[in-house]
Amino acid sequence: MKTTNPFALGLIVGAQSCCARSVSMLLGRGKSAPLLLFAAMALSATASTITPAKRPAAPVLLQGGDVHTVSGAVRPKTDLLLVDGKIAAVGGTISAPAGTQVIDVTGKRIYPGFIAASSPLGLEEIASVRATVDTKEIGTITPNVRTQVAFNPDSETIPVARANGVLTVHTRPSAAGDTGQPRGLIAGQSALMRLDGWTWEDMTVRARVGLHVYWPPMPAHRGPPPPPGARDAYKDARTSLQQAFDTARAYLTAKAGPPAATDLRWEAMIPALQGEQPVFVHADDIKQISAALDWAREEKLRMILVGGRDAWRVADRLKAADIPVIIDGTHNLPLRRDDGYDDVYANAGRLHAAGVRFCIANTGDTKGGSANARNLPYEAAMAAAFGLPPAEALKAITLYPAQILGVGAELGSIEPGKRATLIVTDGDPLEIPTQVEQAFIDGAPIQLRSRHTDLYDKYRQRYGK
Amino acid sequence: MTTSPFGSVARSAVLALGLGSLLSVSASAAPRTVTTPVEGLRDASPRVHALVGGRIVVAPGKVIENGTLVLRDGVVEAVGADVKAPADARVWDVTGKTLYAGFIESGTALFLPDTWKPAAPTTAGDAPSATPPPAAPRTGTHSWNSRVTPERAASRVLTPDAKGVEKLRALGFTTANVAPARGIFRGTGALVSTGTAGFNGGVVRPSTAQELAFEFGSFVDRTYPTSLMGAMALVRQTLLDAQWYAAAQAAYAAHPAGRERPEANESLAALGAVVAGAQPVLFEISDELDVPRVLGLAAEFKLHVALRGSGTEYRVRDVLASAKVPVVLPLDFPEVPEVEVAERAVDIQLHELQHWELAPANAARLVEAGVPIAFTTAKLRKPETEFWTRVRQTVTRGLAPDAALAALTTTPAGLLGVGATQGTLEAGRAGNVVVASGDLFQADDAAIELVWVDGDPFEQEAWERLDARGTWSLAWTGGKGPAELVISGTKPGRLKVKAGDKELAASTPDKRTLLLFAPAGLFGATGGTVRLSVTGEGGALTGTGELPDGTALRWTAKRTAPFKPEAPKPAVAEKFFASSGVYPAGAYGRAALPEQPAVLLVRNATIWTSGPAGNLESADLLVRAGKIEAVGQNLAAPAGATVIDATGKHVTPGLIDCHSHTAVYRGINEGASAVTVEVRVGDVIDPTDIGLYRQLAGGTTTSNVLHGSANPMGGQNQVIKLRWGAGAEGMKFAGAKPGVKFALGENVVRANFGAARTRYPMSRMGVPEIMLDTFNQAREYGAAWEAFRAGRTALAPRRDLRLEAALEILQGERLIHIHSYRADEILAFIRLAEQLHLNVATFQHVLEGYKVAPEIARIGAGGSTFSDWWGYKFEVFDAIPYNGALMARAGVNVSFNSDDDELARRLNTEAAKAVKYGGIAPVEALKFVTINPARQLRIDDRVGSLEPGKDADFVIWNGSPLSTMARPDSTWIDGRRYFGRDDDRQLRASAATERAALLQKALAERQKALTRPAGPGGGGDAPPDPGHYHYHTDEHGEFRAIYHNGGNTHTCSAQDGGRA
Repeated sequence: MKTTNPFALGLIVGAQSCCARSVSMLLGRGKSAPLLLFAAMALSATASTITPAKRPAAPVLLQGGDVHTVSGAVRPKTDLLLVDGKIAAVGGTISAPAGTQVIDVTGKRIYPGFIAASSPLGLEEIASVRATVDTKEIGTITPNVRTQVAFNPDSETIPVARANGVLTVHTRPSAAGDTGQPRGLIAGQSALMRLDGWTWEDMTVRARVGLHVYWPPMPAHRGPPPPPGARDAYKDARTSLQQAFDTARAYLTAKAGPPAATDLRWEAMIPALQGEQPVFVHADDIKQISAALDWAREEKLRMILVGGRDAWRVADRLKAADIPVIIDGTHNLPLRRDDGYDDVYANAGRLHAAGVRFCIANTGDTKGGSANARNLPYEAAMAAAFGLPPAEALKAITLYPAQILGVGAELGSIEPGKRATLIVTDGDPLEIPTQVEQAFIDGAPIQLRSRHTDLYDKYRQRYGK
Repeated sequence: MTTSPFGSVARSAVLALGLGSLLSVSASAAPRTVTTPVEGLRDASPRVHALVGGRIVVAPGKVIENGTLVLRDGVVEAVGADVKAPADARVWDVTGKTLYAGFIESGTALFLPDTWKPAAPTTAGDAPSATPPPAAPRTGTHSWNSRVTPERAASRVLTPDAKGVEKLRALGFTTANVAPARGIFRGTGALVSTGTAGFNGGVVRPSTAQELAFEFGSFVDRTYPTSLMGAMALVRQTLLDAQWYAAAQAAYAAHPAGRERPEANESLAALGAVVAGAQPVLFEISDELDVPRVLGLAAEFKLHVALRGSGTEYRVRDVLASAKVPVVLPLDFPEVPEVEVAERAVDIQLHELQHWELAPANAARLVEAGVPIAFTTAKLRKPETEFWTRVRQTVTRGLAPDAALAALTTTPAGLLGVGATQGTLEAGRAGNVVVASGDLFQADDAAIELVWVDGDPFEQEAWERLDARGTWSLAWTGGKGPAELVISGTKPGRLKVKAGDKELAASTPDKRTLLLFAPAGLFGATGGTVRLSVTGEGGALTGTGELPDGTALRWTAKRTAPFKPEAPKPAVAEKFFASSGVYPAGAYGRAALPEQPAVLLVRNATIWTSGPAGNLESADLLVRAGKIEAVGQNLAAPAGATVIDATGKHVTPGLIDCHSHTAVYRGINEGASAVTVEVRVGDVIDPTDIGLYRQLAGGTTTSNVLHGSANPMGGQNQVIKLRWGAGAEGMKFAGAKPGVKFALGENVVRANFGAARTRYPMSRMGVPEIMLDTFNQAREYGAAWEAFRAGRTALAPRRDLRLEAALEILQGERLIHIHSYRADEILAFIRLAEQLHLNVATFQHVLEGYKVAPEIARIGAGGSTFSDWWGYKFEVFDAIPYNGALMARAGVNVSFNSDDDELARRLNTEAAKAVKYGGIAPVEALKFVTINPARQLRIDDRVGSLEPGKDADFVIWNGSPLSTMARPDSTWIDGRRYFGRDDDRQLRASAATERAALLQKALAERQKALTRPAGPGGGGDAPPDPGHYHYHTDEHGEFRAIYHNGGNTHTCSAQDGGRA
C-alpha cells in the first residue's frame, strides 16, 4: 500500500462532521481526528494482499479437538468432518472417507465463528478520512441503499477481524447527518457478509437482511424553554418517519392498480411493510425504545432493537412483544450520571433473566466499528463478568446473532448441515490471551495473517528477531 | 430640569403641590446645584417631605413603630418616633405602611450599550459557555487581548433608558451598580441612582468595582483563550503584567534618562488599583468550583474580591465561610422538574432534583455559615413579577427577613463602597426610601407604594389605590338596590363581591375605579345586568349606574367594617428531602472521605505485587495509616487490625492511567495558540466528574490528566488520585513531578482542519522549529532573570508565565509527555530532545513506536500507548497491537493508557492484550498498567507496586486481573475504600430513596401546574408535549460543564460511531 505517497489533490470532499459536538473535537486531543475537510488520499490503493481461501476439494477432518457446539453440550475429544463447505459430521471418532485431509487438533478447542451482528465493517477503512467511508447516504430517507455493493473485499480491516475469530459480519448502513443537516432516519438495507472471498458477491451470505431505522434522538429536557417558534427536532423527525411509512404503504396499495412509476425508496420498503423483512430500529434510550415499540406495534412491523442500552428497563415489554435486542456493545458508558456504573455491563444478563432474545454486537462506542471488530468476544465476556452465564455470552456472539439475523439454520453453532465456519483455539476465546490458531469459512481454511502481523514480522527483522 | 432622559414620573405631583410654596421660600430648602444652564424657568420646588405614621425599618434589625421620617434636599434629615414633621414639609400619611431604606441593585446592565451587556452564548456546536469577544473596536493603547478591557468604565457610556429605570424603581431599587458584562477583565461598574436627575445628578459613585469573569471564546473564534484553563492563565498573566507595568512606569518616571521607555497601556494602568488592593473585584462565577478557583487567585494576588454567584454556592459554603467573601446571589431558581412522565423522569438526575429544592435555600445556608450576601435581579427572565416572589421564597426557605433586607441594603452598600450614604434610613443618609403596604419580605400581598430617590418621590401603582375590600352600607337614588355589599379577595385587584347570597362580577379598570356587574334581580328588575361604577378612596365611595331599561342610578357607599383577611396559615417549616452534606451533590456523593482503618490486613489472596517479589500466592497485605507495611505470607494480624478475608481473590496495585482527560472541564484544549505551556490542567479539575467514580469501580486509582493535542506545546498536566468525594485540590497527587503535554502530527498541523489553516505549523516540518524557537526565547528569558538577580539590571524583567514554563521544561523540572504517532515525527523529536537535553517522560500514543523503539529507549523515554486501537485516522493506519511488546523488548518502559472515559474502566484487560499480542508474561503485562506508568510519571516511589512504604492503593479482584471475567470487589486509595460493590449498592439505594421523596414533592407541584385551568386568571402551564424541546447545557463534548452525565467526549452519539 502506498500510504506514504498520497495523491494530495486538495480535493475538498465536503463537510463531514457527525454532530455539532465534533466541532469541539477539531482542536484535537488524544485520538482526535476530526471528520472535516481534507484532501482525498489515495486510499483506494489500499488493498489487503491476503489471498482468499480455496475450498479444499477433499473433505477435512478436524481430529480430537474439544468441540464447543454452542447449540448443545461441549464435546471433548471429538472429530469434526467438513465436506463441501458444510459440517458433515460431529462425532467421537469419525472414520474419514479416503482422501480426507486430517488435521490433528488434539488439545485445542473448536467454536463456531463469531458473528458481528451490527457493524460498518467493509464500508469504512479510516473513519476520519471521508474518502474511505461509505457508511451513509445523503438524505434522511434512503431505504433503498444496500451495504453489500460498497463492501470492500480488500479492506485491511477484514483480516484483522478474522484473525480473532470474527468470520461473519452483519454490515449495516449508518444514519446520515452532518452538521446542519437533519439526522438520517431510514438508512437502508443491511447484508450479512462472510469475511472471505474475491468479490463482494462471493462474500454475501444474505442481501437485504433488514431495513434500518435510526430512531431520532429524544434528549433529556432541561434548561430554559426554547425561543418561540423554535423547531422541535424530534417532532419533525418523527413526522418524517411516519410520512415515509405512510407513503410507502400508499405506494404498495397503488401497485395493485394500473402500472405506476417506480419509486426506488418505497419499493425497497415493501418487504418490511409486508412483514417479510425485519426492521432494525437503532435506539438506546428508554424514551426512544418505548416510542419505537409503540410504533412497531401500530405499524405491524417485525422489529429488532439495536443499541438498547436502556433495554433492561423495558425487558417486560420486549419479552411480551418478542422483540429481540442486538446489544450494541458492553464496552460502553452508562447513559446518565445516576445510572449504575455497571448498568451497561449487566444489561445482557438482565435481558437473559427476563427471557428476552438478545445478542451482543460491538459498534457502539469509540473502539468498535471496523478497526476493532476483533474485540467482539471481550464485549460478550464483560456481560459474563456481570451476571450473564458464560455459556450465554458465547451464544450471544454466535448462535443468537445467527438466529436473530435469520440464518440460525446455517450459522452460529457446530451442527451437521451447517456452514463449516469455525475457529480452532488454544483456550477460551472469551479470554484475551487465547489465540485463534485456525479458522475456516465455509470449509475453507483462511489465512490469519493481517496488516498487523505483517508489520510485526517486518519490524522484528529490524531488531534481529 | 429641562429635559430628563428618565421621564418625569414624579414631577407633576411635586409641581402641583408646590404652587403655594412659591411665596414662602424656606430658607433651608434649596434646589440642587447643577452646572448646566437652565433654559426657561428654573425648578425650585421644595424638597422637604415628612413621612408620618409608618413602621420604619431604619436598618436590618432596627425598627421604629409609628415614627416619622423627614427628608430634606435629598437627604434624611431626621428619623424617629418623636420626630415632628417640620412646618415646611409636605406630609405623607403612611400610617400602617412599612418604610425601608432604598434597595441597591448590585449588578445591572441597565444604561449600558448593547456591546457591554451580557452576551448570549454563541450558536450550537460551540462551547456552551463561549461568548463572542467584545465587539466595539478599541482605540488608544490597550491590552493585546480583546477580552481584557479593564479600562472600560460604565460611567463613561451610561445611556438613558427611561423604561428600564422605571421598572427597577418599581421593585424598590433606588441605586443600581451598572456593571460591564463582557469579557474577562470587563471594566469598572458605576453606582447610579434610579431618580430623574440625569446621570450628572444620578451617579453616586463612578467607579465601584472591576468586573471579572472566566470567559473564553468558542473554538470557532480561534482567539485566545478558548478554554477555562486559558482564561485562568490569562487572568494570572494580566495581573502580573499590571504589577510589572506599575513598577516599570514608576521606575521610568523616577529615572527616565538612559532607559528605554516602557510601553504605554491603558488596560494595565487601569488595573493598578486592583493589584494594589485599592479597588474591589466582582468576580462572576459559573459554578461552585469557581469559588475556590477565584479565592485562590485572590490570595495569590491579594485582591479585594466578592463573587457574583451562580446559585449553587451552598454546596461549598464551608469554603466561603472561612473566606468571608460576599456573594451576590441571582434568584433564577430552577423550574419544577417535569417528573410526571416516568420514562422522561429517568433523565432527571438526583443533583437536579436536589438543586430544585435547595436553590431557594442557598441564601439562608450561606448566611447561616456567616457569608455576607446580596441579591440581584440579574438572570431573572421577568424580574417585575419574579423578583419579590423569589426573595420571599428565600425567607420561607429559612432566610431571616432582616438578612434578606441586608442583602438589598447594607451588604451591597458596603460592597460598593457607599456604606456611609446608602443602605439605611439613619439621619444624614441619602433620601432613598421604599414605602410598602406591608412587610415586603414576608407578606405575599405587600406592595411597594412609594419610592423616594435622592429625596424625590415616585408614586407607584399601588399608592392610593382603591382597596374596596370590606363591608359597605349603600344608599341609592333613581332606583332601589341592595343595602349592603361585602367585598373580599386576596388582593385589592382580585375581588369577590356579594350582596346577600347573590354574587356580583367586579373589575378594576384603573386604580381608583371599581366596576360592578349586578344581576337585575337585585334591583327588582327582571332580566339583564345592572352596570355600576364607583370611585373614591378611604371609607366613602360615590357611584353611578344604569338599570337594564336605561334608568340612571346614583349611589354612595360607606364602609361599615374593614375587610378581615383569613388568618394566615401558621408558617410550616419547609421540609427538605435533599441531602446537602455530601459532595459531589447527587447520587454517589460522599459526606466525608472513606474511613481509613488504623491497621488493615488483607488476607490469603493472590497478590500481584508488580514489584521485585512478583506474584505471591496465599499472601497477605498489611497496611498501616494508609501506607503498606508488609506484603508476604502468614503475616500476623496486629491488635485492632481490620481484617479482610480475600481467599480466592486477587490483589493488585491500583491501576494507573498515564493518559486521561477525565475530570477536565470547560475545555480540554487551549488551542488558539501553538504554544500554551502556561495553561494548567490543575486549574480546572472537576471533582464532580462521574467518570472518576466509574473508573474507580474498574480499579483505576491514579490518572495522568493531560491537556489535549491541539498544539505542539500544550498545557501543564495534573496527576490525580481518584479520591471521589474530595474537592479538586484533594484529588491532586501531591509531590508528583510536574509535566506538560506536547504534541506532534495531524492534530497540531491541523491536517483535518479544512482549508482555514492559519496557525503555524501546518506540516511536520514546522513542528520542531516552533519548539526550538520557544526554547530559545525561554533561555533568553532565564538569562534576563539571572542578570537581574545578579544585580546587573535595575528593573525586574516582566514575568512571562509561558516562558517560565518553557524554562522549567528546558531545565528538566517539568516532564514532557508528547502525543505522537508516526516514526518520522518521533525520531525528529528525539533528535531535538537530545540537542536540548530535554527530559522526555513519555511518548503518548506512540503507535509507530515499534518502528523506532531503540531510539526511544536510548533517550530514556517511556512509551504510553494503546493496546490495540488503530485505523481511526490516517496517521494510525500502521498501528499494530504488537507495539507494546516490541517496544518493551527494545528496552522501552511501556504502559497502556485509555485516553478515554470508557476504556479507563477496564485497563486490566487492556494489559492482557500484551500477553496476546507479543507474548509478554502475565506478571509483566500487568505492569503495563501499574508500576510502568508510575515510573513514567516519576511517582514509582509512592504507587504502582505493592511494596512496604508505598501508598496503600490497591484493588481486590474477584478473579485474575487479566481475565475478562474479573471485576473489582473494592478499590482502595491511601488505605481508604473509595469503591466497594457493597458500598455501591448502598449508595444506589439511598439515592433511590431520596429521589423518590423529591419526585413526590416535585410531582405535587407539577400536578398543581398541570391541572390548574389554563386561560385568563388560571395561569396554568400547558401540559408538556412528550418529546419536547431540549436545550442541552451540560454535554458539549470537551466543553462540558460540571455534573455531566459522563458520556465520552469522543463520540457523537450512540448510533453513530464517531471515532475520533
